[in-house]
Amino acid sequence: MKDSQEIEVQETMDTEVPLDKNVRLMSPTQMLVRRFFRSKLSIIGLVMIISLFLFCFAGPLVYTRWSQTDIDKSGMLDYATSEMTYEINGVTYTMQQTLETSKSDNMLSAPSATHPLGTDDQGYDVLIRLMQGGRVSLLVSFLTVFLLTVFGVLMGGIAGYFGGWVDNVIMRICDVLICLPGIPILLIISAAMDGWVAAGMVPESSRIYILMIFLTFISWPGTARLVRGQILSLREQEYMVAAEAMGYSTSRKIFKHLVPNVMPQLIVQMSLSLGSMILYEATLSYLNMGIKAPYTAWGTMINIITTNPDILENHLHVWVPAGICIVIAVLGFNFVGDGLRDALDPKARR
Amino acid sequence: MSDKHTRALLEVEHLRKAFPLKKTLTGKVTQELVAVDDVSFTLNAGETLGIVGESGCGKTTLGRTILKLHSASGGRIWFDGKDITDYKSSQMREIRKQMQIIFQDPYSSLPPRSTVGGILSEPVEVHKIVPRAEIKDYVLNLMDKCGLRDYYYERYPHEFSGGQRQRICIARALSVNPKLVVCDEPVSALDVSIQAQIINLLKQLQQDMNLAYLFISHDLSVVKFISDKIGVMYLGSMVEYGTKEDIFAHPLHPYTQALFSAIPHPDPDVKMERIVLKGDIPSPANPPKGCRFHTRCPYAKDICKEVPPTYKDFGGGHCAACHLLG
Amino acid sequence: MANHYLSGKEIRAIAKQNAKEIKRLEAYKNRRAPESEYLTQMHDDANILEIDDLHSYFFTEQGVVKAVNGVSFNIPKNSTVGIVGESGCGKSVTSMSVMRLLQGPAGQIVSGEIRFKAKYGDATKVYDIAKMPIRDIYKIRGDQIAMIFQEPMTSLNPVFTIGQQLDEVTFIHRPDATKEEAKAKSIEMLNLVGIAMPERVYAAFPHELSGGMRQRVMISMALASNPRLIIADEPTTALDVTIQAQILDLLRDLKNKIDGSIMLITHDLGVIAEMADYVVVMYAGRVIEKGTVQEIFHNPMHPYTIGLQKSKPTLQSDSDTLFNIPGNVPNPIDMPDHCYFKERCSQCTKACSGEYPGMIQVSPTHFVACHLYNEEAKA
Repeated sequence: MKDSQEIEVQETMDTEVPLDKNVRLMSPTQMLVRRFFRSKLSIIGLVMIISLFLFCFAGPLVYTRWSQTDIDKSGMLDYATSEMTYEINGVTYTMQQTLETSKSDNMLSAPSATHPLGTDDQGYDVLIRLMQGGRVSLLVSFLTVFLLTVFGVLMGGIAGYFGGWVDNVIMRICDVLICLPGIPILLIISAAMDGWVAAGMVPESSRIYILMIFLTFISWPGTARLVRGQILSLREQEYMVAAEAMGYSTSRKIFKHLVPNVMPQLIVQMSLSLGSMILYEATLSYLNMGIKAPYTAWGTMINIITTNPDILENHLHVWVPAGICIVIAVLGFNFVGDGLRDALDPKARR
Repeated sequence: MSDKHTRALLEVEHLRKAFPLKKTLTGKVTQELVAVDDVSFTLNAGETLGIVGESGCGKTTLGRTILKLHSASGGRIWFDGKDITDYKSSQMREIRKQMQIIFQDPYSSLPPRSTVGGILSEPVEVHKIVPRAEIKDYVLNLMDKCGLRDYYYERYPHEFSGGQRQRICIARALSVNPKLVVCDEPVSALDVSIQAQIINLLKQLQQDMNLAYLFISHDLSVVKFISDKIGVMYLGSMVEYGTKEDIFAHPLHPYTQALFSAIPHPDPDVKMERIVLKGDIPSPANPPKGCRFHTRCPYAKDICKEVPPTYKDFGGGHCAACHLLG
Repeated sequence: MANHYLSGKEIRAIAKQNAKEIKRLEAYKNRRAPESEYLTQMHDDANILEIDDLHSYFFTEQGVVKAVNGVSFNIPKNSTVGIVGESGCGKSVTSMSVMRLLQGPAGQIVSGEIRFKAKYGDATKVYDIAKMPIRDIYKIRGDQIAMIFQEPMTSLNPVFTIGQQLDEVTFIHRPDATKEEAKAKSIEMLNLVGIAMPERVYAAFPHELSGGMRQRVMISMALASNPRLIIADEPTTALDVTIQAQILDLLRDLKNKIDGSIMLITHDLGVIAEMADYVVVMYAGRVIEKGTVQEIFHNPMHPYTIGLQKSKPTLQSDSDTLFNIPGNVPNPIDMPDHCYFKERCSQCTKACSGEYPGMIQVSPTHFVACHLYNEEAKA
């Protein structure tokens, strides 16, 4: 403590090398976008998804020759003539009969100028149904993922933030729900719904939405667990303790400090589950539990092959395009999801 | 213990903090970890109290219990003449702006998605320190005080090095004009040359703003440099407490003596007589009976194994808890 | 931390360049080569390790990080050489290069020689570790050179007992040993590092031991193969001071017992002063000063060494403010060719803007890389 007066108080200004003032400013979000676009695969995924959306939502505005429920009735008529001779009391009568068979629709025609992808076994134009079916498939999965995320974030957030018995109850519910097998449950609900539809309680066109709501109900635990885990780890971060020490209110801590930091992982999870929801929708429709004629979805379009093996072999144009669309959608969402995940955690790539 | 007599800025009396380890189904605690046991001290405005100890000695828990980030299990905390021990979180919100904390890890203590300006103006806004229109000027002034350049305002924490981040943390803690700052190992994660910058800054700010520091560290030389008073902790209890001069000139407790001699001397020619303690630090969940230090104490007697020593004043506020000192 | 952001074009150019370099170096690393190709001679027979102009780079997305940029020093027999520096100065990368543990493909030894005198019974062989194909590295790694890491919490495998992990080391070096022999050897090693109840520790899992105990186990593991050189990378940084004192005592004892050398990497000048015979001070990937421990502590010459010693508060000093070196450790990408310490140096002269100063010999053992002494030498 001697001669402390004499010692010159040193400059306490930040003498570290200053950041360059002119350097372009980048927020963590901008950096994320940048790293995302550095990967070729994620760009491919994004292009795939954007083109699918354009195809499904802008396509029907351009391609207006047919609508989803138009049946091509330009099919040729078949005539069959038969002659019958009767002999009554020595007089011979000849009766001529012309039969017009009912092949009135242009069914299963090959791709042509009028039908770029041909027609299916009902005489519907495949191209327009591919677009319209895509609308349904994409909408349904977006809706489901949105619901699922909202519900999952809510439950996971409550469990993670409050902990204790609340956490215990919610997590045990999650455990139970994860144990339930998805498809069999949906089969049962669908069977029950057949009765409701017949009784007029539920309109036919909304059955898929009801099914997907049930799907949401049994698949939110994944998101809830993710959010809970994130919040538990974030809560231990010292900046959350600092927020506590600052005397911020609970809602401020949750919405200004926790939620924005969970968002990135959530977006990854959402894009990955979009892919799996498209598959779920396709599976349901394929099992003839989803969209039914005259409306359609990609899964329904593939379902045609189960009724007529001839189509499976000889009329590829009817069902293969829908399959390709499903593959593109699922791959695209997964590429984007993986790209986002890598962008979030550049070290985990190897 | 009346409310009336004038008190120091912070008075801690017989503070105890235990974490439950095992509970029965009905919620009754059957085993607990006593992280802080019977700790008392006073801290005046503008002073620095250094808390030294090894890992698991409860120094971090002590700091956080004083800030009421953990609720105390026993004892009293008087802050600024008020007994805050039983304050509810809504009551604490007002007190919070007078007591702040700086953490060890400058990387996890700043939210990654806010700008420096956002981080620093949020507490000012929440606690309405200045009118809304003056917030930016206030923050820029604060940044200048903490040695941060004004154009850092728009930047994100990830762009800064450890030392600069620690400056941001300091600025955040000071943004609400606190009277007490708990510094929880603020320089342990930094390089030696950066450590010196931060310690000098803390000293400078203490003079300018009349801050009281509770400076927690495992590094004795740093604590000696910055503190007026020093408390030495071992396994949750304070074994020795006194002014810096007393403690360094005449360490009383054998643990303090061993701690001093364990620090390597930065001169190759000085060969010190070293007291090397045998064995490891016992687990705080299962501390030894009697004096907690007796398992490692080179002078342990029979009484040490049975009876916990009492904490006595050996003159001029220099306290220690050891049977040997009579 | 990069101070500027690169455009997409620059990033692609860097990636292309990196890929080319990495491909060449990886091929060199993975090649097969006869032993004669990497046998060499020691320049001074008293040394056990000679590092000569070593360059180890990391090829990152931001550019080439020259983590070790022309490092040279020797480790004499039966001595402790301390390497000291702040984080990012390349001290750990140097030790990783010696062990050939750099994480590929990004981390590569680019050039330089690491001559090591290996001893098999009575025969000695001098290998150039930098030129060794990675498939031959088992000849020295873990056997002739052993390493002790900073983090005793994570460097033991949590699912095996201490005994299993120690026995494994014995089996690697003596495949013909029986189980009993291995156990006897393991217990002996645990005894050697001062563990009071070796039988109990032998059967314990890592999580049952304290940090200090784990570090002792790590040391015993390193000693199991009678190494000629022990590399201790911040062996006490994660430990408490009273435990640190125990471990340092142990290391000092062991050095005498095993007749080997220690390369001690730390940022703690006190530890260096106590343990080391020779000191190497590193800054931003370069050696800026080296000498005996007396020379470095009593007659430090480089402004950085001086500043480092002054900026650490000690129990003995009584000043009111700490000396601080202004500024920050520079970003190791695209280093200009002048003294890296220039921006932070209080004694900077005109010459410092010139090219990087060479090593100036001050005494037979004391070298410093600073222009200040260059001019003195001229005048």
